[in-house]
This record gives sequence, structure tokens and C-alpha cells, in this order.
Amino acid sequence: MSEPILQINHLSKSFGAHVVLRDIDFTVNPGDVISIIGASGSGKSTLLRCINLLETPTNGEILYHGKNVAGKGVNAPEYRSHVGMVFQSFNLFNNMTVLENCMVGQMKVLKKSKEEARANAMKYLEKVGMAPYINAKPRQISGGQKQRVAIARALAMEPEVLLFDEPTSALDPEMVGEVLTVMQQLANEGMTMLVVTHEMAFARDVSDRVVFMADGVICEEGSSEDIFTNPRKQQTRDFLARFRKG
Amino acid sequence: MNPFVQLWNDTVKLWTTYAGLYLNGVWTTIYLAVICTAIGCLIGLLCGILNTIPYGRNDNFLKRAFLGTVRGLIRVYVEVFRGTPMILQAVVFYYGLPYFSNYTLRFENALLCAFFVVSINTGAYMAESVRGGIISIDPGQTEGAKAIGMTHWQTMVSVILPQTLRNILPQIGNNLIINLKDTSVLSIISVSEFFNVHKSIAGTTYLYFPSAAIEMIGYLTMTVVASILLRMLEKKMDGADSYELTQADALSLSAGTYTLNKKPEDIHNRNLEGGGKK
Repeated sequence: MSEPILQINHLSKSFGAHVVLRDIDFTVNPGDVISIIGASGSGKSTLLRCINLLETPTNGEILYHGKNVAGKGVNAPEYRSHVGMVFQSFNLFNNMTVLENCMVGQMKVLKKSKEEARANAMKYLEKVGMAPYINAKPRQISGGQKQRVAIARALAMEPEVLLFDEPTSALDPEMVGEVLTVMQQLANEGMTMLVVTHEMAFARDVSDRVVFMADGVICEEGSSEDIFTNPRKQQTRDFLARFRKG
Repeated sequence: MNPFVQLWNDTVKLWTTYAGLYLNGVWTTIYLAVICTAIGCLIGLLCGILNTIPYGRNDNFLKRAFLGTVRGLIRVYVEVFRGTPMILQAVVFYYGLPYFSNYTLRFENALLCAFFVVSINTGAYMAESVRGGIISIDPGQTEGAKAIGMTHWQTMVSVILPQTLRNILPQIGNNLIINLKDTSVLSIISVSEFFNVHKSIAGTTYLYFPSAAIEMIGYLTMTVVASILLRMLEKKMDGADSYELTQADALSLSAGTYTLNKKPEDIHNRNLEGGGKK
């Protein structure tokens, strides 16, 4: 078995007296597509943000190739350049065009030449179907298009693992499809992905592992088939039942 | 004689004799205001960057102490230079420095001192404007930049400050116009800007009011032109309202609500062209 990319040990996070995550353990292996599901406020997004060090974990370890990145004296920018993140609210840079959004990280962080960055950005914009819009500013394109650009921007950094924080939650229903199609294609190509989502169909059909979170702990973890057809915990069953109408 | 005719005659007389002096004064005022506003903006942006360097409990004591001190110093700088009249700041730096240093430390000429005083005065105001501008940018922009591995400096220079600059451009314009007018106080250290020219011409000709009329028209012209130019700059910074497609967008045309197929083999047959339609 290959070495895990990320290994999370006893991770906890609290905001003041409010405990959001308690003793989280799990492992991300190369090629994994993991969906994190659970009710709002169960700590899914916080977990993802801790993994990318956007939040500082209160306790525990995040081992990236065996090296703890949650401690003191860690070069967070360097680590983050290996771990891509796609946000619910896109967070495209408003002062740049679509193409510049995908080039700036490569040039500033990876120190690539402009030509190289441009070619690479085009490759990924092509992949998400946004190549026609390279001259547009973020305010001029739709939500689904923004999210596809955000995915291309993350991919252009050629990360080892891609984190998705509810990538379709801010989208109109008719735009959800275009984003999920892109994500599904990435999954099929073997990209390592960690997806916080409310799209149960996506979690069931695309991911190979599902993590169900409730009240800041991992309540149940297993293959997507197990979780969706044969959940062991009552809490998981109750949660999934809410998506079973129709 | 009709006072308006009298005024016109005196003004024409002053202008024909002293046009060169007035225009020199105008020129000095313009470059003082423009250069000092620019330097003030740089000071403001620098203060903005220093003020927003994040630090948390994972950072060592030295870094936290250093950043805390920097923030304190910036605060003192802003309060002192925003809270005292520029006319006194000019006096303190021009006459005060030699007074305290036994004439070893002093500005070589008044103009140099003027540059210094107006720049740091503007900087104090701009530091606050920039701070407000940075706060007004969606935190998501910072997170987006951090997530692709940018450092604080890179995030600020490439993402946050360009947007801040656009948002505070009206405020920069305010400062430019204020500086065009307020450099007049520098006559206290005898910088030969526009207002000082008036003082000396009025002193020799005793035509106080006609000279003041020329000054009024001169200042108003400068500020109106500045304000028109600033509007044009704002428009330019906003960029084009439209964009051109470089080719057709295959995905968004076929996109619909997402209905995943039950059978796994169907999933693997889906591709970009396949969109949400069944």
C-alpha cells in the first residue's frame, strides 16, 4: 500500500468555549475520493479549513507525508501550494481576468515563467470548459462558471490533493450540474479529492469513501456503498432518510 | 468707476506684468501636491500591509512583539500627524530641527522640507483610508490567495491592494485636491508656491483683492481639472464592461440539473459533452 498523503490524528478545534471538532482521525491515500457529509454545523467545513490551515487546529496532528504541519514554525504557504482548495463562494480574484486568476499562483508561488503559466492555465481552463472566457472578469460570469474557473485555478497549481468546501451550495440548481460533471471527471482521472457536500447523489456515485460527521465527531466512515445502503448507526440512517424522498 | 470694470482692469494689469511668477507658483503647487499625494499613498499602503500581517498563538514571541510594536508606532504616527495642523508641522520641521540639533540637522531648503511635511501628512490620512479599504475587501479574497500558497506580501500586492486602491481612489482624489489647496500654508516657511506668489505680489503692488481673484480662479481651475482627470482614471481602472469569447462554451450550453445515473458504467461514459441531459 502506498504512503498516505494526509493523516489526521486526534484533531480538535474549538472557537473559545465552543468545541467544533473533537478527536478526528482519518487518512487520505493517493487517488481517494472522499465525501464528507453531515448536517450543517457538524464541523465538516471547519475540518476542511483546518486541513488547509485556514483555521489553526487547537489540538492534534495533520501529517503531510509524515510531517506534522499543524505545529509551530511550519511554512504554511509552501504546504498550501500542495493542497488545493475550492470554496463555496468561489473566491476568484476580482481584479483579474479568468486567465490571470489561473496564472497568478503559478507565477508568484511556483515561480513559473509567464508563457509556461499561461499554457498550463489554458490546459486546465480547457478541461473545465472555461477556455472561451479567459478575458472575462469574475463579475461578468455566472456562478457555475466561476466555480469551474476556481477549480481550474486550484488544478493549475498541480496539487496532490484537492479540497472542495461545499462547491455547489451557492449555485442555482441549473448550474450545479456543470460543476459536478467537472468534479466527476477529475475523480475518474484519479485526482485525490476531499469533498464536503450536500449532494448525496454525488457522494454515493462518485466517491469511494464517505465520512459522516455529526456534532464535531466522525460518526461513521466507510465505502460509499456501505454508508448509503447499509448504514450501521441510527444517526446516519436518520440523516440519510431526509434525502430519500422521491 | 464700476467696481467690476476696476477689478478687471487691475487683474489684467497684474497678469500682464506677473504672469510668469503666477505660473511658476502654479507649477510648484501642482508638483508638490501630485508628488506628495503619491508618496503619501505609498506610505499609506505600506502602513496598511504592516498593519494587517496576521499573527497567532503559533508564532514565536519575538514576531508577536515586533508586530505589536509596529502597529503601535503606526498608530502614534497617524494620531500625531492627523491631529496637528500642517502649518505647525512645517514650522516644527523647518525651524525646530536646527533649534534642537544646534544647527547640525536641518533641511537644505524650504522646498525639501515642504515635500517631507506634505508627504507624511498625507501618509497619515492615507494609512487610515487604506486600512478602511482593506477591511472592506471580502475575506474570501485573502482565503483564495492563501489557498494557492501565496504569502501575506504576495496576497497584498497581487490581490488585496489593487482592489483596495480602486475602492479608495475617490479618497486619494480628495487628498490630492486638499493638497493642491493646503500647500498654501507652506508660505509660512517661504516655499514659493502659488499662494506665496500672491503674498509677495500683493505686497509690492498693494492690489490685494485683484491678486486674490487671480488666485481663486487659479486654484479652482487646478482642482476642477484634477477632479476630471480622477474620474477618467476611475473609469479606466474599472476596465471594459464586456469581454470577448474566444470560442463557444460547450459545457454551459448543455448543463442542466444534475441527475446521476444509477449504473456505474453510465457514470464512466459521461464526459464534458454529455452534460446533464439524459
